Amino acid sequence: MKIIQKGNAVSKGIGIGKAYLYKQYTPRIVESKIDNDLVAQELLNYQKTKFQAETEIQSIQSFLAQKNDEKAKIFQAHLDILNDIAIAEEVEDKVKNDLYTYEYAVHLAYEMFIEMLSEVDDALIKERVADLKDVKNRLLRIASGVAEANLSRLTEPSIVIAQDLYPSDTATLDRTYVQAIVTEIGGVTSHTAIIAKSYEIPAVLGIDQILDEIKHGEFVIVDAISNKIIISPDEVTLNTYLKKQQDFIAKREVTKQYLSQKPVTKDKVKVEVSINIGSANKEELDFEQYVDGVGLFRSEFLYMEETEMPSEEKQFEIYKKALSKFGEKPVILRTLDIGGDKELSYLEMPKEENPFLGNRAIRLCFDHMDLFKTQLRAALRASVFGNLWLMFPMVGSMDDVYNIKKVIEDVKKELELKKQAFNPNFKTGVMIEIPSIIMVADHVAKEVDFASIGTNDLCQYLSAVDRMNPMVSKYYQSYSPSMFRMMKLAIDAFNHEHKPISVCGELGGDLVAAPILLGLGMRKLSMSKTSVPAIKKVIINHEMKQFEAVSKHILTLKTEAEVINYVKSQLNLED
Amino acid sequence: MYKKTVTILNPSGLHARPGSDFVNLAGKFNSSIKLWKVDRPEKIANAKSIIFVLSLGIKKDTVIEISAEGNDEVQAVDQLVAMIQSGFGEI
Repeated sequence: MKIIQKGNAVSKGIGIGKAYLYKQYTPRIVESKIDNDLVAQELLNYQKTKFQAETEIQSIQSFLAQKNDEKAKIFQAHLDILNDIAIAEEVEDKVKNDLYTYEYAVHLAYEMFIEMLSEVDDALIKERVADLKDVKNRLLRIASGVAEANLSRLTEPSIVIAQDLYPSDTATLDRTYVQAIVTEIGGVTSHTAIIAKSYEIPAVLGIDQILDEIKHGEFVIVDAISNKIIISPDEVTLNTYLKKQQDFIAKREVTKQYLSQKPVTKDKVKVEVSINIGSANKEELDFEQYVDGVGLFRSEFLYMEETEMPSEEKQFEIYKKALSKFGEKPVILRTLDIGGDKELSYLEMPKEENPFLGNRAIRLCFDHMDLFKTQLRAALRASVFGNLWLMFPMVGSMDDVYNIKKVIEDVKKELELKKQAFNPNFKTGVMIEIPSIIMVADHVAKEVDFASIGTNDLCQYLSAVDRMNPMVSKYYQSYSPSMFRMMKLAIDAFNHEHKPISVCGELGGDLVAAPILLGLGMRKLSMSKTSVPAIKKVIINHEMKQFEAVSKHILTLKTEAEVINYVKSQLNLED
Repeated sequence: MYKKTVTILNPSGLHARPGSDFVNLAGKFNSSIKLWKVDRPEKIANAKSIIFVLSLGIKKDTVIEISAEGNDEVQAVDQLVAMIQSGFGEI
């Protein structure tokens, strides 16, 4: 038995099975030529290779189609590429006229088209480059006589171990047999992490050279709760883990039942639970049925995914989609929040000594009025399709509030002049993340319609800790008594004016912090989709009176550790 | 030679399935078929190649010209234009 303790458990759970070492084929490109009289034979070999590639792709396609898997269409794109006449002509030309082997001709031709598509200014088309590479690799692999390694053909419970997984690998991944994923590279936000989480496959990523540590077929336990890989476990360990696995699955199933329930405490206090979204894709919008609205629509993702400024029309369409889907339920759209750690390739931002204290978010928008007004026009025009709440990030003073209101008035006039419709009842609010705005929260609460606390930045600015700097991470204490005392000031000010205040930072979906915030008088929490069931569970299984008692005591505590211990000792917080 | 101008109506443009349907239909004709964006006539694509069609980056509301030369040129252009005007079942 050998235990490796490393890596990031990006998707929790326990996987038990035989190691399946998945090594993608890496072609070796060699420039080599053929004799003139072998051209016909070479072209025939190319046809044969293409034919085998077609057979392989069709077989994956029918396998996916049987399971009604939408991913079958990725492989239709692969067939289209394989049979593309322009590529075929290019390959044949390089064999006939330049006398290259067909393998080298395939390499040259595909690289030419890969370059051509990489230049197209369109994210959707750039994605097709990955498909071209996939098809090219398939052809070259077949040419060199290597059999297909394919994650859709597993025949027993397996632990997939790879350097990294590509989109086409995860697309064909057979979820019935993959018990866990372990990779050498990849972090919390990598493609593999996202897929593993959404499929609920336990995954530990980022363990260097794990492929050298484990042999194909060896029995492995992946503990993606405490970051452990156990190779050839003894019987006692195995039995312990089989039990742990059962418990984990049972607990998660119980928690999931809370997803569709109404978040009301035992003493009948209703809480609003909303989600944070980024791109308004189908998966995010489909969550509408389980929640009370969107508590944070991070509009910067629309900007960051593009290579040029997204047009008013493009933004309008996306905002419209989200607003129509949520109907009466509020959608809090946060205006462009860049600067700090987020940049746009097409917007020149001078280098700053302290970007987090610099020209970011609303400050940057005031400097780029065109960009700012384009977004506001798109949002206001979309307001007729739903319940728009506009929120402005990094507001630090009443001056900022007045300036925002003036810009909104300008944009409204502009739209009226152009006779473009908008819903005059949209709401205007601020993000609370700079301590200075909390110190004048009484004034702010009179001037705006709502507020939402961004806890990540609030903690950074309150405690003077750069949250990107690992050297000071121990000083970044989200649960410190100062944080809760600070947030209480904001909550009290908004409750006094009977205006909604919510939290949309990490703490909104946090099992320790959420109950305290509710106890302090907040009635609205926003969080990532995955936190919704566990938070609803905590709400449903407690009385608001309990939360109030806990938070009252929290305000008297001295350190972060005391806060965490106290909350855990008073409430039932198992996820 | 026979040609026509047409505006793309479907939301996803000539990408993904619509692009694939378009190229497959073009491949059924004997004529040589080309297309380009009217505002970028210097970039001409072979309508029977998905790669070339994709490389034009044709989105909704783009105006394109389709031209064909051969024994079935009229049918080819008319059917391709009709397919675009039908919105590929997306509208």
